[in-house]
Order: sequence, then C-alpha cells, then structure tokens
Amino acid sequence: MNNGLEYAMHDWYPVAIEGELEIGQSRQTRLLGEQLELRCDDSVCDASVCDASQRAGNTGDSVGTITIFSNGRKLPVQRAFNHLWTTLSEKPRELFAISEAQEPGRRLVPCGVVRVKCSPLRAVENFLDIAHFPFVHTDVLGAEPHTEVYKYDVRIDDTDDEVIASNIRFYQPQASKSSSGGIETQYIYRVPAPMAAVLYKTCPPKPEAMDVIAIFVQPLDEETCNVWPWMALYDDVSSMADLIQFQQLIFLQDRSILENQIPRRLPLDPKMEIPTRADLTSVAYRRWLKRHSAWYGAQISIDSLQNHSEGPNAHELAE
Amino acid sequence: MTTTPVALARDLPVQRVMRAQVDGCDLAIWRGISGQVQAWENRCPHRGMRLSYGFVRQDSLACAYHGWHYNCEAVCHYIPAHPELQPPASIKPVTYSVVEHQGVLWVNTRNEAEVPEFPEDSIGIRSITFDCPLSVAFEACLAAQLSDEAGLSLSPRQLGDAPLILSFGNQQQADSVLLLFQPSDLANVVIHVLAHHSYSVDGRIGISQWCESVRRQAELNHEVAMNAGMECTHE
Amino acid sequence: MTIRFYNYVLSGNCYKFRLLASLLAVEYESVAVDFHPGVEHRSEKYLRLNPAGTLPILQADGRVFTETQAMLVWLASKHDKSGAWWPEKNSDAIVQVMQWLGFAARLSATVGELRLHSMLNKDIDAAAAKAGAIKALRELEAHLVQQQIRGEQWLGANSPTVADIACFPYTALSPDAGIEHDAFPAIRQWLYAVRSLDGFVTMPGIHELHEQRDEQSPAAETKTS
Repeated sequence: MNNGLEYAMHDWYPVAIEGELEIGQSRQTRLLGEQLELRCDDSVCDASVCDASQRAGNTGDSVGTITIFSNGRKLPVQRAFNHLWTTLSEKPRELFAISEAQEPGRRLVPCGVVRVKCSPLRAVENFLDIAHFPFVHTDVLGAEPHTEVYKYDVRIDDTDDEVIASNIRFYQPQASKSSSGGIETQYIYRVPAPMAAVLYKTCPPKPEAMDVIAIFVQPLDEETCNVWPWMALYDDVSSMADLIQFQQLIFLQDRSILENQIPRRLPLDPKMEIPTRADLTSVAYRRWLKRHSAWYGAQISIDSLQNHSEGPNAHELAE
Repeated sequence: MTTTPVALARDLPVQRVMRAQVDGCDLAIWRGISGQVQAWENRCPHRGMRLSYGFVRQDSLACAYHGWHYNCEAVCHYIPAHPELQPPASIKPVTYSVVEHQGVLWVNTRNEAEVPEFPEDSIGIRSITFDCPLSVAFEACLAAQLSDEAGLSLSPRQLGDAPLILSFGNQQQADSVLLLFQPSDLANVVIHVLAHHSYSVDGRIGISQWCESVRRQAELNHEVAMNAGMECTHE
Repeated sequence: MTIRFYNYVLSGNCYKFRLLASLLAVEYESVAVDFHPGVEHRSEKYLRLNPAGTLPILQADGRVFTETQAMLVWLASKHDKSGAWWPEKNSDAIVQVMQWLGFAARLSATVGELRLHSMLNKDIDAAAAKAGAIKALRELEAHLVQQQIRGEQWLGANSPTVADIACFPYTALSPDAGIEHDAFPAIRQWLYAVRSLDGFVTMPGIHELHEQRDEQSPAAETKTS
C-alpha cells in the first residue's frame, strides 16, 4: 500500500529560520515521521553534505554551520527564502524557485512557525481558499455581504508542473498592513510543491507590483505540521514586528478551523467533500496530488484510486 | 442503540450550537430562533468542518468556515460564495432524532428518540464530565453518601439501565436527586444532575459540590485501577 | 496624555488590555513587539522597560505597568465613569473581583503555557500544564454553576468587572491548547455573555459572533424557499 511517503520524501522542507540557532545550540524536530536533530556549531562544512554557499554565516547575522542528523545520518541542507531546508532523500527534486525573492526593494519577512494539528495538505488547501475570508478573517480579508467569489481561472502548468489559479478578485476591508480601507484585491496562486503555496496579491503602496506571501509546510507526520509563513513585500513604512504580526493574526485565525476539519487528513475520495465553483483551485490541487500519488497527509480510498473524475456532486456545482 | 441524554435544555438557549458525543458519533446540537432543537452529524459536507463551531442565524445553522447555511430540514439553502446559486438538495448533513423532555435533551442515533419515564418536578443543576469510564463513575455515585436539606440520608435506586438513571430519595421525598448518565466515549462520561424543585439555592449549590466530590473519588478509583493494571502487566 | 501599549497580537494577556480598552472606548498607541520569532521582548531595549522580559507593557501616567491585572484595574479606575468594572465602593464585590483577578494568573500559567506549547512549540512539561489547566477550568466551571444557581451571570458582581476580562482570554483560548469547552456548559454560557458585550473585539482563536450580523444574511428570506 502506497502511503505517499515515496513521493514526499524527495521534496525539500523548511526546518528553521536562517540565523535562528546560535553556535552551540541544538534543536529537535520531526520530518515525515522521522526524528531530526539540528545542531549549530562553528565547524567547517563537510563538503560531502553541503557546499560553501549553504554555510550559515554568509549573510553575516550568524557564523554557525547547521548540521542536520536523522538516525545518525547527515542530511542535505540548503538555504532559501530565509529558511533552512532539508530532505530525507539522497536524490531530491530541485527546490522550487520564487524569483521575487531576488527583486531589489522587497522586504523579505520570515514570520516564524506555527504548529497545527492537521494534515500538511489541509494547511495548503486552506491557504488556496478565498471563500472563507468573510467568516474566518472577518473585517480584514473579507466581510459580509461581500462574500461572492467571482469566476477565476485554474490550470495545471505542465511545463513547471504546478497548479496555477489566476484572475481571482475579492473585496477586502484591510488587504494588508499597508492598506487603509477596503479594496478589490487581485490574487494569483501557485502551488509549486504539494506542501508549499505562493500567493501574489495587489500591493496597495505599489500598484504596478504584487506582494508575495507564501506558506512552507513542514510535515511532522501525516496529521501534524509546522507552517512557516514567509513574505516578500514592498512596504517601507510598517515595522518588521507589524508585518509579522499581521501575517500571524491571519494564520492563527485559520488554525482553529484547520484543527476541526474531519477527517484530519485531506480526503481524495470525491464523495467525501462537496466543492463548488469557488473551490476550483482545491479541485485542481487534489487532482494534481492524485496524479503524482502525493498521498502523504491524504486519506485515500479504493474509490479515489480507481476513479479520477471528481464525482457527481462536484460536477453539479464545480463546473 | 438507546436514547441518550445529551444536555440540560437550559444549557442550549435559542440561537446556540453545542457539541456532544453519543454512541461514538460526534454531534452538533443546535436550537434555532423558533426554539426547535436539531442533532446532526458534526461535519459540514463541504470541507468537513465541525458544525458545532458554527453559528445560528434565525432557524439556520451556518458553518464557521465558509458560512454555508442549513435550515431545520438539514437542507443547505445558502452558499455565501455563490449568493445567487440555489444549492442542490443533495447537500445534507446526516440528522438524528432529538427530543426535549422535562428540561433535558435526548438523542437517538439509530431510531426515533423515546424518552424514559422519570419523575417530574425536577430542575437541572448541572452537567458534569467525569474523566473515567461509565462503570467507574456509576460505582462511585452508588457508594457516595448524600443527604437532603434536612440532613436525612438519601439512598440510590436505579430507574433504568438504558439510559442509565440513578435516583436518590428517602421517605420524605422519593426522587430528590436524579443522575442521568451519558456514556460519552470510552474515556469519559457526562452526568446530567437534576434535583427536586423544592431545593433551596444553598441546597442546589450543595448538590453541585457533592458532584465534584464524587468525581474526585471516581477519578481516583480509576487511577488506582489503572496503576494496578499496569503493575500486573509488569509482572 | 499618551497611553502606550507594547503588544503582541497572539498573546492572551495583551488581549485582556485590548479588550477592556475597546469595551471602555479608550484610545491608545499600540507598539507591536516581535515576540515570535524575533524574541524582541527579551532584547535589551525591552528588558530596560520590563526586566521580567514579559508582555504586555503599558506606559501611562508617567509609569510603567508590567502586570496585566494591574493594567485592567488602571483602565477601569481611570476610564470607567460608571464604576461598575472596578467596583471599589462595594467591598463585597471588590473582594470577589480580587479573588478572580488572582485566579486569572493561574489560567495564564496553565492554559496559556499549554497553548504556547501547542502553537509555538514552547518547551514545557505539557502533561503538568494540561492537568493544571483542566483543574483550573473545573474550578471556574464550578463557580459559574453556583453563580447560575444564584441567578448571577458574571464572576464577581452582578455586572461584568475586570475579573471577567482577566479570566476570559485563556478560558476562551483553551481549544488552541487542545482543551475543548464541551465539558464546561456554564463556562460556555459565560463566554457567550462576554462575547455579546458592546464593544467586544476578537483575537485569533476567538471568533466573532456572526449570528449578530443577522441583518446581512439572506437566511431570513430564503429559509422558507
């Protein structure tokens, strides 16, 4: 029986923020059910597991080298998007790119980590959802009576193998820390890996650009995850603490929802949950997970393995 | 499966929703503005969100996640993301039979709820949860000393076994204090406590405190039994 | 005179102040402190203000307050003309209020710590915190049952006081720490009463009462269709 680990183990996952650990510090965490130990010391990098570019300290705020062990085995480490990433695989897939991270003028904001008792896939799916804004992020990302989700476009990009949702617009009372008053916000979503999602949204102080907000999900096991939100924004005014707290406010509003979805794993059986047209991103996401057998954190049944259609309920509402 | 007490009716006012466990089913129990009570599977068919986290508007229960509204017939009649859409009739949470009788809400997850006969003239004191199995809680209640307001002792008698009801009385008042047992799941039990309406405020407070004493004893007994069990397996 | 409040949006203790300030319509300047991940409250800048390294911190009347319960008393005694929130003239009520102000610290030390453990991976003895949290919530439930029997709704007096605000956040947030309210019907009623107060504000983990936005829902018209 395929439990999805086969796919999941070859991806990279965040386990710490860059510079967070000081020399001499170590930390325990978990990844895909495996116990990990992160150690920060002043040793020279072991060339067989990391190259010089991955050495902590290159950015100047920390001088330690991070080594990650799992059952006595050293794991590969790389730095990207202000986080340290690792993988259980010896031949991992390449980590996805977010080109905006290199754009001058953007502030890169790692927002910490929040533990949630839910499937890592549920956390990603919730991030892709806009219809909940008026009820869960009331008066910030949405408010009644502006609840309608207008038609938008979803596709699975075969070149980059990503789910892309575009032309999404939604009325938001306070779209970001830098906005004052309600605006109709434009959204684009990208799902570059089963446990990561990137959102591009209207940037109030710089209309020609888009803010980038992502969540990187570290699967502790199939029903527990650490979520690491990260942002690349044009905002010269807000303090770092203000930016982080705005994002934490939003994500913690979601947490109580995520911990109360049944089943805790994302059901891929189309008969289990009923989507509507507003859920087309999630429909595509689930379909894409199935295509890759990326079942870690999913609830799979015989039906969902045999039947790749979305079922009668979904057709009725989602087409 | 039998009819089970799930709450004191006064603990579920109009336009409120609560959660209860019966026969291993997770239930959302709610009361619309008209006063009618509903007991549903605690799961929104849309995204699996527990409906007990939702909110009640008029005579509809709405899910906390996306605000889908369900009416008293358990029909989804409003999806806020698509205000103009008439939702298909197929979107229905699973419903169970629930009745309100003598200040108590009763649920049956298999058949029509049939309430047991028990003495009238009682009022709800509280619903209290014991973190121990039903049998341990029941034994502790049987063994506990309880007196009426005049200091005369009350003795327990079992009124029914499905649902399990224990009545404490004496010659002055046959049914002075009633305990209705709700086996919640394997790990705990909820006891709905009622008392004869003649009890004074202090007398009612006394019964509430008595429940806490019995709970301390029951949970202690359970802990002792668990530790003894562990010692046995070590040998 | 400026009231400056050093705030962390996810802190239940900070929320106590934000909530009472909103209920009393008191305006203040809020300064966000990067508690997580930045641990800014332990930086020299903040240790100089509050050597205990805790949040919130309040600067007002030329003083620095670091104890949340004292901030509530300050807010109510300076800004509540009704005198109901801090009933200092009623000695019977005030001792009750003091009782539950003291109790509020136990909720922070148990539910609050367990919540930080569940949410932000804080390294604590989780089993001990959970046992303490359940014990505290049972005491609160027992008291509220007695208040119900007496025909009362609030913790210390016949109207809401600073004691209700001090105990509200970590009680309401206990599901964040994995302790649901299902076993506490009297607590549920009291939480609802607090959430129904005029000027109530939410924080993550405490949802607003959407049922009270009734007029915006088409439920009323469509329910019969």
